[in-house]
Amino acid sequence: MDPSASGIQEPFDLIRLSLSERVFVKLRGDRELTGILHAYDGHMNLILSDVEETIMIVDTEGAPDGQGTVNVAKRRMEMLFVRGDGVILVSPPSRT
Amino acid sequence: MLIFSVFKTLTDQQVTVELKNDLSITGVLKSVDQFLNIRLDNIKVSDEARHPHMMAVKNCFIRGSVVRYVQLPAEHVDTQLLEDATRREAVSQAKR
Amino acid sequence: MDDTPPPPSEQSPPPPPPATHTGSPTDFLKGVVGKRVIVRLTSGVDYRGILSCLDGYMNIALEQTEEHVNGVVTNRYGDAFIRGNNVLYISAAEVL
Repeated sequence: MDPSASGIQEPFDLIRLSLSERVFVKLRGDRELTGILHAYDGHMNLILSDVEETIMIVDTEGAPDGQGTVNVAKRRMEMLFVRGDGVILVSPPSRT
Repeated sequence: MLIFSVFKTLTDQQVTVELKNDLSITGVLKSVDQFLNIRLDNIKVSDEARHPHMMAVKNCFIRGSVVRYVQLPAEHVDTQLLEDATRREAVSQAKR
Repeated sequence: MDDTPPPPSEQSPPPPPPATHTGSPTDFLKGVVGKRVIVRLTSGVDYRGILSCLDGYMNIALEQTEEHVNGVVTNRYGDAFIRGNNVLYISAAEVL
């Protein structure tokens, strides 16, 4: 009955299998993180290390064609707690 | 519960709490509760020029729901312990 | 003077059942596991991929996922976990 070859039965299995691996996290407010996942809970609160944050700042002024220029700000953090309510998507490293 | 425990082990350590309104506050973690509300002592606001009203404030209580990130002191976080505890909690929550 | 409006409890006839499908939302969700789906978030972003599994919060695990913003592919993920609170709908992208 399990259709996926990867043996995942519930969505959180995907996250559990990513512990101690580098993950990509998409957050509200046009922010993205990559970092090594060390802990999570049912709210998707996360603790990551060696984190790089990317903030997309879209500048729409003087862009009548709808496509504003996108500025990107990056910063690094050694050890970070991320509150789960801001999480949109978590993607593990691709395993095949 | 797991993340709550992690924060408890970090009391009296210096942390930086970044709020969803972009205010960043560095201070000594005095206490935390199950909602991840946080009490900080000896606080310093990262960008005082932008938040001058915070200059006289020495300690504060932060409602958990307004937190975006907490930067943790990496040397006081045992990542192996975190991963093991996370796996244990995941098993006990598997049928939520 | 007090011509109060009629109480809003008048029974409108139930809409005709859809021609093709019967069954509850739960039946639908059971039916689309393992199938190609489109997940739309409240932000308007679409994720197209194979639905690995989902839980009661509508947390979703997708495989071979493409992220579409305004009809343009903006990212690809081998696996993706989507936090349920962001989900607007799940649409079947192939015949069930």
